[in-house]
Amino acid sequence: MALSTLAWATMALSILVLPGVATAILVRSMRSEDRKLALLERQDNIDSYSPRALEELREWIQTNPNDPYAPEARERYNECVRTLREIDDPYYDWSPEQIEKLETIEE
Amino acid sequence: MGESEARTAREEWGSRFGFLMALVGAMVGAGNIWRMPFTTGQNGGGAFLVAYVLLLYLVAVPGLMAETMIGRYTNNGVIGAFNQVLGSKRARGLGLVVLLVNVALMSYYSPIIGWALYYAGHSLLGTFTQAGFQPQAFWNGFIGNTALVVGMHTLTMAGLAGVLVFGIRRGIERVVKWMIPLLVFALVAVAIRGITLPGGMEGLAFVFTPDWGYLTRGSMWIAALSQALFSTGLGWGIALTYGSYLGRYDDVPLGGGLFTAIGNTSIGLLAVFATFPVVFAFGLEPTAGSNLLFISLAEVFPELPGGAAWAAVFFVSFFFATFTSGLGITEVGVTTVSEETRLSRTGSVLAVCGAIWLFGLPSAYSSSFLGQMDFIFGSFGLPLATLSIIALVAWKFGPERARVIDLNRNAGVYVGRWWNPVIKYVIPTVMVFILGYGIVTNIGTDNQTLTIVGVALMAVLVVASVAVMSVVGDAPGDRPGAASKGGD
Repeated sequence: MALSTLAWATMALSILVLPGVATAILVRSMRSEDRKLALLERQDNIDSYSPRALEELREWIQTNPNDPYAPEARERYNECVRTLREIDDPYYDWSPEQIEKLETIEE
Repeated sequence: MGESEARTAREEWGSRFGFLMALVGAMVGAGNIWRMPFTTGQNGGGAFLVAYVLLLYLVAVPGLMAETMIGRYTNNGVIGAFNQVLGSKRARGLGLVVLLVNVALMSYYSPIIGWALYYAGHSLLGTFTQAGFQPQAFWNGFIGNTALVVGMHTLTMAGLAGVLVFGIRRGIERVVKWMIPLLVFALVAVAIRGITLPGGMEGLAFVFTPDWGYLTRGSMWIAALSQALFSTGLGWGIALTYGSYLGRYDDVPLGGGLFTAIGNTSIGLLAVFATFPVVFAFGLEPTAGSNLLFISLAEVFPELPGGAAWAAVFFVSFFFATFTSGLGITEVGVTTVSEETRLSRTGSVLAVCGAIWLFGLPSAYSSSFLGQMDFIFGSFGLPLATLSIIALVAWKFGPERARVIDLNRNAGVYVGRWWNPVIKYVIPTVMVFILGYGIVTNIGTDNQTLTIVGVALMAVLVVASVAVMSVVGDAPGDRPGAASKGGD
């Protein structure tokens, strides 16, 4: 029995969005780990937030200064800023101009 | 290393690959192999897959991100995580609920792993290709032999304990790093063999020919939702526990969320390719569930050229799928017990595995009891556990706080604000709906008594767990200098 065109299309799409995506994620995740390990070996530290994630963290800290988790958030924010200033090669896509503009938040 | 030193250093995964294989292996179980193909075929084939994938991305992926994140953030097992976020002794009761549901789940899952082990062993011995082999008589002879089933249950728990006693890196990780890739290769090999059988393509036509009319049926969406939630293991405490062993530079959303949910479902899809062509090529009943595996497939493999080898590949891979789930479910208890008591890792493994073995004896003794346990804990226990864990992130920790402080930290993929309403409203609503739907649809049926027992049991479980945890003494983690850490 031959499969209909629609069945072939559904099967191909299923393979694409499930094993295809899973394989792509696995490869990306493994490459990401390799890059992190290489950076850690070379400079002993890596930045922990992307530009967008760090910006959101800063906004959240400013909006919720008295939140019970705010001290930890400030600590994480400042740690990332200090790391970005220290290292030569950031893990995330930071430009020198973006790093230059960053300021730590008073803890 | 001295005892006090050993209890203060928490173990971490040795590699990214090990963590991903462990988490996906824990979520891939018997249900992926015997339930996913049948559910897909019964609910409109391709239409079901469309609905399923949609719900997988909408509910399961964000939910798993939340569960893994809270594990990494707290660096604790289920009770410790609830205690740390909610900050009260009574709150540990909800963690205890998750723990007890896991122990109950494992008590009837262990005999099923024992069945898989028995069939894997016999497939290696070539039993299924011997002259005069009768699959139904073989199954009846096995399941009717209480000593044998209890023996396999015992062997299963001993095997799990033998792996878990070595900890996360040297135990679980070392095993799953080869079991899961072998499972995938085995399913691919069986699938290729099945598709090339005369009539094998009919099985694929049954599964993949979409009947779009099903998209308007509520029952299909319920089936897709149940499969998306329960086959991914969301909210069982496994992702939380495994996530608690991640290092500070590890990503959560890409691996803990996306890969776990999609990788798990991909193996379910491989199971569709591996079983349905064979089922249709040999004219078997596709709705036979566990019987399909243990009776029908055992019957057809000998009829294939090189059938003994194909049977071995299939049944050994099925055993791997169930065994790696057993590791994940049992580790939830082991991590928690080693953190919340003075027991060492070895002591915790023996205590948890011993308790599961003991509570599993009735399920090993009686398949009927096993079915009742599956109904009660599958229908009410697991949704309750999921609701507890998601509620912890959604309503106490807060999704926005979780997202900006921890989820996007060292993340391989950025998670936007869309995540917040999904965690806060969508998943809890879905879980309450599933619980309610399960109750309403079973009232007035043969399952009415079991439904009432199940609901009552869950209510007692919550009240008793909260009461017990509010009166027992402080956990070792609460006392200065005595931080018990599970994976040592």
